[in-house]
Amino acid sequence: MNLRNTLPALGALALMTFQLPAQAAVSPDALVGPVAEYKLYVLDNLEDLVSHTEAFTAAIRAGDVDKARALYAPTRVYYERIEPIAELFADLDARIDAREDDYEHGVKDPDFTGFHRLEYALFHDHSTKGMNGYAQGLMDNINTLDSRVQDLTFPPKTVVGGAAALMEEVAATKVSGEEDRYSRTDLWDFQANVDGAREIFSLFRPLAEQEDADTVQRIQQNFDHVEAILAEYRVDPQHPEKGFDAYDEVSDTHRRALVGPVTVLAEDLSTLRGLLGLN
Amino acid sequence: MTPTAPSPRTLRTGLWLSFVFMLMALAVFAVSLKNRQPHRDGTLIQVTASGCEPARLEVPAGQQTFTIVNRSDRAIEWEIIDGVMVLAERENITPGLQQPLTVRLKPGDYAMTCGLLSNPRGTLHVTPGEAAAVPETLAATAFVGPLAEYRVYTTLQMRKLQRHIEALHQAVVIGDLVAAQNAWREARRIDQHLAVPIGLFSDLDQHLNARADDFARRDQDPEFTGFHRLANALFVTRSTADLQPMADQLVRDIKALETRLADAAIPPALLASGSARILQAWHDRQTSRDALTPQALDDLKGLTEGVAKIVMLLDPLLQQQAPDTARSLNAALATLQQDLVEASAGSADRHVLEDSAALAGELSSINHALGLSG
Repeated sequence: MNLRNTLPALGALALMTFQLPAQAAVSPDALVGPVAEYKLYVLDNLEDLVSHTEAFTAAIRAGDVDKARALYAPTRVYYERIEPIAELFADLDARIDAREDDYEHGVKDPDFTGFHRLEYALFHDHSTKGMNGYAQGLMDNINTLDSRVQDLTFPPKTVVGGAAALMEEVAATKVSGEEDRYSRTDLWDFQANVDGAREIFSLFRPLAEQEDADTVQRIQQNFDHVEAILAEYRVDPQHPEKGFDAYDEVSDTHRRALVGPVTVLAEDLSTLRGLLGLN
Repeated sequence: MTPTAPSPRTLRTGLWLSFVFMLMALAVFAVSLKNRQPHRDGTLIQVTASGCEPARLEVPAGQQTFTIVNRSDRAIEWEIIDGVMVLAERENITPGLQQPLTVRLKPGDYAMTCGLLSNPRGTLHVTPGEAAAVPETLAATAFVGPLAEYRVYTTLQMRKLQRHIEALHQAVVIGDLVAAQNAWREARRIDQHLAVPIGLFSDLDQHLNARADDFARRDQDPEFTGFHRLANALFVTRSTADLQPMADQLVRDIKALETRLADAAIPPALLASGSARILQAWHDRQTSRDALTPQALDDLKGLTEGVAKIVMLLDPLLQQQAPDTARSLNAALATLQQDLVEASAGSADRHVLEDSAALAGELSSINHALGLSG
């Protein structure tokens, strides 16, 4: 081969090296197990969501404000963990988890229902008056969600993309403290979003590691970092079920310290889909 | 020896060549710049405080990019909704900024959320377009969702099966015939749901599901174990006496099945071909008999429930690749399900026999339609 022919060939080769998207070595077959495991995780959490919502709404119907307030955050945890799947159902997500700002007339809007409507009654009005209908509605919607998810074939892209979606949710609504503005139980939701994201990450980690060990390592470190800060606000580190301090008590330094790792986590986790050949 | 200076002619050629290379490099650079400008790609949608502008969009089917501009004063999300399901979404768009969203759309009517939940939804009409006539070949990842869902199904069925087998074992140990019969029926139904994956393991399949006819000494053969061996005792002899070794064996075999299923990779082609095989096998066994036994009818009900799950999983892919095949497959399944409701054991009603063979036939044609070999 003479030089004149070799050079363009080398050039073409170099161009191809730079321009071809990295070929994912992950075989689609390898994704089946983790996606199935994730659905089992979601089903387990749904079972807990249904039973906790039963207790929460029963307390409201019984007019027991203190008990209902105590059950509010521990119940939401199971919804917040599985949000990537729960959010797929636009009608239910709006009825279960919308915030007053999603409506033109805010709290007074007749369509404003769900957890945050009940939060307003329990933590702002300190009352369960007129809440029976909302409590029953929440229970019905959670039951509908449960039966829809049972029948749902989980889209692999949504599952893998869910890890980043959860951390974006944290960045957008948890660090700012807008999610649970009356109950100040934001850290419960925060931890639940992290749990949900970490579950997805753990399931796909062995596959992602083969493609990009550095990113996987960084994700691991940032998860640890975020959870270490969260752990400082646990009421009783020996009893995680006791939950977290009110979000008001989180120092500005810590709020700022959370923004960095949460943002990097969201960005790093958003590369998972591509790494696993799901884009 | 001193190097000779290049001739002016060589220099000119060299200069000219480097100029050409520079132009080429500039061109490549320009092209790469062009590719890096994602802004205002595709269809532009502005979300104001009161809704989407335009509120109605029409685009052709296929890959579409939307650029969503937030003209309201709060962070918004924009979603494309199919029925009640979110098909695609772009969350947390900051006021004043824009975000692109690329999505592959099939022809049909969709809704768009436009900021506040109390705002009116927009409509998105997707026309068939030109490319829609030819179905695209399925992506390599197309079967990940259905296979994962099938694994969830087998895992959950396995858990139920273990509960029923434990109840059966317990009833045999304490000698409660009625409880043992009930537990056997429940367990057998699940065993039939799992006929396709159990077929992967011929040794376990034989331990669990072989019949007396399969053995040299028929029901006296010491190798004869499993559901049919227990059924002989529970429903013919109507006794639990001396059954415990058989029940112990069943517990061991189900445990082994669970372990193997947890690691088994089911190839996508097996979903349809395995379903066809088990229905055909049931059919072939029954054609030589005068009337259906209650057990044969119960078995077919269990098999059909398991096959219905598989049809449901493959249906979305089949709708995309071969809508006619999807229609006739669903029709064959519906006919069998309907006739099973009406069928009664012992009658000369042969409908379910024909139906099972017809459904097996439909199932054996769909791997081809899905581009699978097997």
